[in-house]
Amino acid sequence: MKTNLRKNSKAIIILVIIAAFLFVAARGMSGRDVLITVLRGFSTGSVTFLVAAGFSLIFGLLDVLNLAQGTLYMIGAYVGWTVYVRPDTFIDVLTPVLLILAGFSLSALWGRLASRIQLAPKARKIISWLLILAGLGLLALVLTRYPIAIWNLNNYSESPITYSYMADQGLRIIPAEVTFEKISPFLAIAGLLVSSAISAFGIALLNRNESRSQTINWRKFLVPALLLLGGILAAVFNAQITSWMFAMSTNWLFVIAILIAILSGVGLGALMETTLIRPLYSRPIYQLMLTLGLGTIGLQIVQAVWGRPEFVWPKPEFFTGTGGACPATNLADLLENNCSTVFLLGGRVRVYDEIFIPIVGIIVLIVVWILLKRSRIGMIIRAGVQDRQMVEALGINVRRVFTLVFALGVGLATFGGALAAPSTGLTPVMGERLLLSALIALAIGGLTSFPGAALGSLLVGLIQQFMIKYGQIGIPLPFTDVVFKPSPPLVPASTVLLMVIVLLILPGGLLGSKE
Amino acid sequence: MKNNSSFLTKNRGILIFFAVMLLAPFLIGLFEGSTPLMIWGNQGSLSKFIEGLGIEIFILALFALSFDLLFGITGLLSFGHAMFFAVAAYLTGIALKTLAMPFWGVVLLVLLAAIVQALLFSLVLPRVKGITFTLVSLGLASVFHIIVMSSDMINLTGADVGLQGVPVPAFISPVTERLRFYVIALTLLVATYLFYRRFVASPTGRVCVAIRENEDRAKMLGYNTTIFKVVVMIISSLTAATAGMLHALYQPSISPSIADLGFTVTGLLIVLIGGVGTLSGAIVGAFAFRLLDFTLRRFMGESASFITGAIYVIFVLFVPYGIVGTIRMRQLRTKPGWQRLLGMVKPKN
Repeated sequence: MKTNLRKNSKAIIILVIIAAFLFVAARGMSGRDVLITVLRGFSTGSVTFLVAAGFSLIFGLLDVLNLAQGTLYMIGAYVGWTVYVRPDTFIDVLTPVLLILAGFSLSALWGRLASRIQLAPKARKIISWLLILAGLGLLALVLTRYPIAIWNLNNYSESPITYSYMADQGLRIIPAEVTFEKISPFLAIAGLLVSSAISAFGIALLNRNESRSQTINWRKFLVPALLLLGGILAAVFNAQITSWMFAMSTNWLFVIAILIAILSGVGLGALMETTLIRPLYSRPIYQLMLTLGLGTIGLQIVQAVWGRPEFVWPKPEFFTGTGGACPATNLADLLENNCSTVFLLGGRVRVYDEIFIPIVGIIVLIVVWILLKRSRIGMIIRAGVQDRQMVEALGINVRRVFTLVFALGVGLATFGGALAAPSTGLTPVMGERLLLSALIALAIGGLTSFPGAALGSLLVGLIQQFMIKYGQIGIPLPFTDVVFKPSPPLVPASTVLLMVIVLLILPGGLLGSKE
Repeated sequence: MKNNSSFLTKNRGILIFFAVMLLAPFLIGLFEGSTPLMIWGNQGSLSKFIEGLGIEIFILALFALSFDLLFGITGLLSFGHAMFFAVAAYLTGIALKTLAMPFWGVVLLVLLAAIVQALLFSLVLPRVKGITFTLVSLGLASVFHIIVMSSDMINLTGADVGLQGVPVPAFISPVTERLRFYVIALTLLVATYLFYRRFVASPTGRVCVAIRENEDRAKMLGYNTTIFKVVVMIISSLTAATAGMLHALYQPSISPSIADLGFTVTGLLIVLIGGVGTLSGAIVGAFAFRLLDFTLRRFMGESASFITGAIYVIFVLFVPYGIVGTIRMRQLRTKPGWQRLLGMVKPKN
């Protein structure tokens, strides 16, 4: 204990100083303000933590600094919004996505076949690239003709802003269905499946050596078959599922939206790791540049699909009640009336923003902590952070763990996006801002340390919220009558300042390992 | 073959480039039927347009050169490099517009600010290495971007609309004296490139390369690596500031997008297209990038930036050494081939 204290003396001193600052800062406010500011700090901290945790997991095990994390956070928010406000679009998109996934998941089976084909290396390369390109071309051909009910950015009455505004008022516009006009449904489904299977075969042909030793049994067919079934069911019962989702309670819709956001993040993460990040493990700087580029491209795509203007994600029913005994003063009232606000210490606290988000953040912290400390996969991850080569030498397929961790990290980021969007709204700059906060949190807490990510996020959230609060009430400077009001730009500036100071004293961060 | 190492032969490529670029406006003027004399008097729309495109390319090339020195030669990956550029651009604009300072005073002020900024970044250099340095630089630059965009500074920076209406001194006004501006930008680029070549070949430059390859070993050999890094940082910052100043003088408005991460990515993309650590790659990359961007924007509109991003990813994955780097690597293989071809044409003696 004593040596532990001495080892971490600097970190403890910094924490004590920050705590003292926060204490002094809190003294100037009423108890109500302090409570609300602290709760808001926890809320911001929780969202930052979700992104930062994924970041630190990925960086710890893979040594990849995933700078696309901010954009992925944003994608999570936008995907969740689409499921929540426009379920019809989601169901329309579901079919092609599932079918393409089914086609590509055949790649493992193709590998077996591809390894039998004897070709000169150059011919193999050319043929496989041709197959991949042909498959993608066919895919593009089918996809451009596939009917998807979507908003129209050029027409204000059909823009995302209008849809979310109407949903917020409780009036859901149920848009007109689109039908198969340019292509017959059968042809569309077959085309999607065949084109993705061709590309998958090309990919399998390209790297045949990896899949040579795999055996084939019925389990290998299970995933593609399930995906195929799901895709076809979604296409056949499109209208029924859509109307069912529109009639559904918004609470359940919200849960589905969050789940889909997480799933899309996991899928995107796995895709990114296997196709783009994996070839670059020998060139870490290029990985960094790649993730940065992917982040920029993702931002462009989001702006092209959902448009630049800001819009809101209406909160589910459970958090929007106003009638009856609202704002609630006790738990029973709150649960009975689904109040949007509660009275705490004489101040109004918003349930979703300031209570629900921190609770979810803490739950995720505990779950991931247990996953890391108590499960076999967590043990492998921790061992991999310590010494990757040794884990490989012990006969563990580290590559699969890498993909898993990357997918998990990205899933956490998209989860954060979907969770934060109802309280912050959706803007094209939300990703960049959060990336900055998460990076600062990580640098403060220590890049590879998971508890460090939690501590750093909490500090960043608290400091940001205290600065915002002081921007409203002003700080009376000592010995003068001047009241200093920090303006909004000083909020991120203050956290960066903290980061620079911490890094100057402790280059590894507060809880990071010393190098 | 005799080893001819005079100044002219060693820098043949860049000198030919200089001459071609000097003549280019006049030659292009001939296509639209304006005589060299008319071009001299800044008439002729096509050549003026080409000059404008050239100036933009030179500015990007200067920026990319400074980035290549920092990242490609010394191995310091800074994600805040756009800040060097943007601070100079905004300072030029504000000093000319709001403070109404004399032009040469502005130049001095900007260069001084560049040095101060480099020292600010250097403050963290001795403690922070590798990826953490990247993060710190990203943080510092983001703060600058946020401040520029904030509504408190709207009178100075124009917030998200950008700084407009900067009074440019008449003698280098890009409207009336564009040829002069073009020649000045070109000369600055060529001079900077020559200086950089000399710098990399000097003992100081060699130490910088050693720092990139293995900093601990360089330290072990007795070099105070921090000082070398600070020197490189200052040179790089001065170059980026020059580019930023030219940008502020040339563009009708300074948009805040030059301060964000996207502009650093642009610099990175240029260096990557040209070839990391090759110096001449920065110039080649700037040409390739700007011309590509121009063509794509013309034919594809808004989706151009998406394609640029895709090209970036393709370069990272498949052409990691860039155009110049790949050519240099292939040279060992292609040179004997060329000589064999020449031997067939040339009579053997």
